[in-house]
Amino acid sequence: MNQLSREEYSQSQKMMIFILAMSLFGLANLFTELLPEFVLGPVEISVSYLAFIPLSLVMLFHPLYAAVGASVGEIIFGDLLLGDFGGLGELEGFIEFTLAMYIAGLLVTNLRSKKQVGIAAIVGIGIDQMLSTIVDVGKVWVGIEEVEAVPGLPESILAIEGLSFVTEMIISGVIFGLIPTLYLIPRLYGKIEPLLGIKPREGRVKASMTEWMSVRFVILAIFLTFMGMVAEFMAEMDINFAVWEPEFLEQFGDGFIWLPISAAAIVFIVAVFTAIKWLGASSNQDKKGKSA
Amino acid sequence: MSEAIISIDQVSFKYPGGDDWVLQDSSLSVNKGEFLAIIGGNGSGKSTLCKTINGLIPHYYTGDFNGSVHVDGIDMYSSAVAVLSQKVGYVYQDFENQLMRPTVLEDVAFAPLNFGDPDFQQHAEWALEILGLTHLKDKSIWQLSGGQKHLTAIAGVLALNPDILIIDEPVAQLDPHHAKEIYQKLKVLQQHHGKTIIVIEHHTEFIADFCTDVTLIDQGKVLWKHDVKTGLQKVDDLLERQIFPPQVTQAALKIDHSNKSELPITLKEAVTYYEGLSITNPTSVEHKSDQHERLHEIVHLENVSHYAKSLRNETVTILNDIHLSIKEKERIALVGTNGAGKSTLMKCLAGIIKPSKGKGRISEYNLKNSSLEKLSQDVAYVFQNPEEMFIEDSIYKDLSFFAHSRNMEMEPFFQQLITAFRMENFIHNDGRLLSGGQQRRSSLAIGLAIQPSLLMLDEPTASLDVKSRQEMIRTLNQIDEQVKSVLIATHDMQLVAEWATRVIVMDQGKILFDGTPHELFAQEFICQQAGLIPPQMVQLSNQLNIHPVALSISEFVERIERIDSYGVS
Amino acid sequence: MELVNRFKKTYNLEWVKLELLKTAFGKKDSYMGRKDPRLVMVWYFIVSLLPWFTFNQTILIGLLVYTIVTSLVSRVSPLIIGLLTIGVISEIIYIVALVYLFGGEWAAFSSLITFTMKITIMSIASIAAFASMDPEKLSDALLSFGVPAQFSFAVSYGYRMLPILLDEYQQIILSFRLRGKAPTNGGVLKWRTIYYYSKIVVKAFYPMMLNTAKKTRTTVEALEVKGFSYSLHDKEAKKQKLSHLKLSNQDYTFLVMSIGILLAIYFLGKYYPI
Repeated sequence: MNQLSREEYSQSQKMMIFILAMSLFGLANLFTELLPEFVLGPVEISVSYLAFIPLSLVMLFHPLYAAVGASVGEIIFGDLLLGDFGGLGELEGFIEFTLAMYIAGLLVTNLRSKKQVGIAAIVGIGIDQMLSTIVDVGKVWVGIEEVEAVPGLPESILAIEGLSFVTEMIISGVIFGLIPTLYLIPRLYGKIEPLLGIKPREGRVKASMTEWMSVRFVILAIFLTFMGMVAEFMAEMDINFAVWEPEFLEQFGDGFIWLPISAAAIVFIVAVFTAIKWLGASSNQDKKGKSA
Repeated sequence: MSEAIISIDQVSFKYPGGDDWVLQDSSLSVNKGEFLAIIGGNGSGKSTLCKTINGLIPHYYTGDFNGSVHVDGIDMYSSAVAVLSQKVGYVYQDFENQLMRPTVLEDVAFAPLNFGDPDFQQHAEWALEILGLTHLKDKSIWQLSGGQKHLTAIAGVLALNPDILIIDEPVAQLDPHHAKEIYQKLKVLQQHHGKTIIVIEHHTEFIADFCTDVTLIDQGKVLWKHDVKTGLQKVDDLLERQIFPPQVTQAALKIDHSNKSELPITLKEAVTYYEGLSITNPTSVEHKSDQHERLHEIVHLENVSHYAKSLRNETVTILNDIHLSIKEKERIALVGTNGAGKSTLMKCLAGIIKPSKGKGRISEYNLKNSSLEKLSQDVAYVFQNPEEMFIEDSIYKDLSFFAHSRNMEMEPFFQQLITAFRMENFIHNDGRLLSGGQQRRSSLAIGLAIQPSLLMLDEPTASLDVKSRQEMIRTLNQIDEQVKSVLIATHDMQLVAEWATRVIVMDQGKILFDGTPHELFAQEFICQQAGLIPPQMVQLSNQLNIHPVALSISEFVERIERIDSYGVS
Repeated sequence: MELVNRFKKTYNLEWVKLELLKTAFGKKDSYMGRKDPRLVMVWYFIVSLLPWFTFNQTILIGLLVYTIVTSLVSRVSPLIIGLLTIGVISEIIYIVALVYLFGGEWAAFSSLITFTMKITIMSIASIAAFASMDPEKLSDALLSFGVPAQFSFAVSYGYRMLPILLDEYQQIILSFRLRGKAPTNGGVLKWRTIYYYSKIVVKAFYPMMLNTAKKTRTTVEALEVKGFSYSLHDKEAKKQKLSHLKLSNQDYTFLVMSIGILLAIYFLGKYYPI
């Protein structure tokens, strides 16, 4: 009567990862909330989050729990405790950020590879920023009766969103994302995991082709939606889509709001589905690794 | 007549991936209503053994487990932690992390609530009532003192009304005053509420005063279990494992080797034991050398006061008109209860806080307009929690951080420190992965690496086991060459007695006393006012009218003349 | 210079800590704070989603006024509302400026106003509903709506840990400052100073991560002992936890009033559209 069943990530370990990510990213968010913003025209230059924290954690631990923990931490510390809970806006941020971080964590298979860590970091932030751009643009689309009826509006929106996308990628993505992540990962890898009683993620996790496909598929889908949005707006500057657009609006009417939301929901469901599949496979994989 | 409530039978345990058996064929039986102390060196398996009682091992920490544990007739192996938790309450050594809800009442009600107890509120209030915390129930956890937090943690498990309470090192993080309070409360639980109490404890003086039984564990094995009187007299067994019996016992042993069986273990017993013995009072009291006057002054504070805003926007006086002069070659102990202003005074000296009023000077720097960065070149401040000192990923990098940021070449000095502090074996490890004693030594070395004039240490012996603590005091006695003066804020009166040349007692932001340890301990009312509990030797000296008081065991032994053959009855 | 001064002020951690604790632990007794949190959430969802189903400016103005009044009644600090107003106005100015720059016409201005109003109603509604609500109450409401118990635990845990985490972070930053060396010459726009402190803020997370990891382990173990994982599967525990949520008379009054006002706004919009 020895040997209880062992799983790589027990319930309590998942809870530890969740709490760890929540506390740390929450704390970081308190600071970024308080940091001054530097407003330059319509674009504000500010540190919107210290992305290196969730990025490091999703790479070191189970990506899903670390990603969810970080997002929850942001809501609780950054908003709720400061009396700044944004309701539905939080949900939007939660989905975007969790998904982005989760994917970043899945991308890394070898923590010793600087190239992989770097790419994952940039892709992670990129996805988050693209998703938030998509949602922002979606809101304008829904909120204004006929976007193309306001000459110059599509260009303006594109300019504003584009600029903020670029600055975010530079500040949050590179300065407070990529660089610190590259600094932290080698220092934490193999050191922080034992503190939680977790075996460090080892070498290359052999994911099957289908799982790889689905992760790539999600990234591709987000990227394509993003590009589609940009193209759409570019197009509206010159060409009028009046031929089909009114029809489209008529068909969906005012309930059009649900389009971006349901799009996000679909993406999320796909992601969760992927996650579950991935989890099943990776825990098998880990078991194999462990007995070795 | 009393029945066994816990029976541990031939238990062995190995952590997954670990090579050694942490527990090896351990058997222990605990009767209902016992107050049991578990003693043993670091890594002897004390905590591991206790965790088998509530099933954390092997249900939570999976691993290789053999043997059986029965708690009140329930087979631990086939029950869940949740079920056992209602029988066995567990309070951790780092109890801070056990408190999870914002306010006292909510935290205490947390466990009964989780188990769906419809009367969770009443049960929580009952637990608070017993421990005398009712007046704190709506306070936020973070507003509590260390002692109150510990009591809250105990209340949190007591709310489930378990038959057994296990408390891991109840006094490690507390000052002696609060420690005593905790033990008194535990005694009440044992005597009036029929609880079985198990403590993991290093401080044999508390064991002697409060426990009924004691068990010694070594290398994963239960060596013996005796009633306290018998157990603590097995001095050789204890000393072999670096566990020190109460001071009175040690002293008695040194005075009389022949009559081991009846050594005193408590102060009360000691008073009777030594009564009627002739005492030699030293002929000459140490006289101060006038050389002292000519020494260079490092710190000079005049009329320093500091105020802070509380959450309710009230102004609170933290330092009240402090005058202080620190010269070279001083070993100063700064004592007083929590909130007396000790840490604020140290923060002022380190330049972290600018005092609201008054002026001061540290070496050539003026306190008012010198930046933190400037002052920190002359004053080193070692935090209470060593982990907050480790900012790099190896001790060596931490050691050289100061020199590195200033492009200074100090390699020979570092090597000297590494040898002096015996850090060779872990110098390239991360500080967080070291043992408690190693962490303290390293943080001390990090402070010294700045080559300061004044070294300030905050509670350097807190939460160390007795062995590491003795080692730390020894190390502190060595550092006089590397630094001009040392200031230590501490609750550890033994450290004060054995190390300091000067004691400053603070109370409510004021300096209540400034003098030598001998002078301080002779004045019992000051000790009382400032909530200090002198070392057992000092208390004994006072009760036996030995003046000046003996500060250490050896000092005491010198005063007592050898007992003749008729000795003590 | 302004930036640097603000930066310095921000990095006076003692000040930051006190401000945060004041915000987080201040008493939250207000009109909306006294309502059943579930009701407040439902109110919020309705009020913030309604604008997106209409382009009628009368309705939007009505909703805007309604949310502003509610937030004033529930004693949201005027500062927050002021900041929000400034934000909204500046946003409008930028959009208008840009539209103008790209050759748009002023005639189209009104549709932009419509859009801005929708966004603003949403923000004010969230402020009115949540700024004065006790986070614990909010998390109870979420729990009763089926959000996993881990979330509501996380809320109260965050509440509890906030001061500890802040203290620890402050100490670590102090360690960096006590042993490090700040640049004496700040450079253009004090960029060297900013760089120095930014580096500390980031680097301090290395020890922070490891220290927190150590703490987390005890916490989760204690959670197990205190039956938290047991409560996740126990319906009775959840029922007990939420037993204090009860609709009272004032909640019903609020409900009737809200429905009345929303209907009034709707009919006003229908018969007097702008």
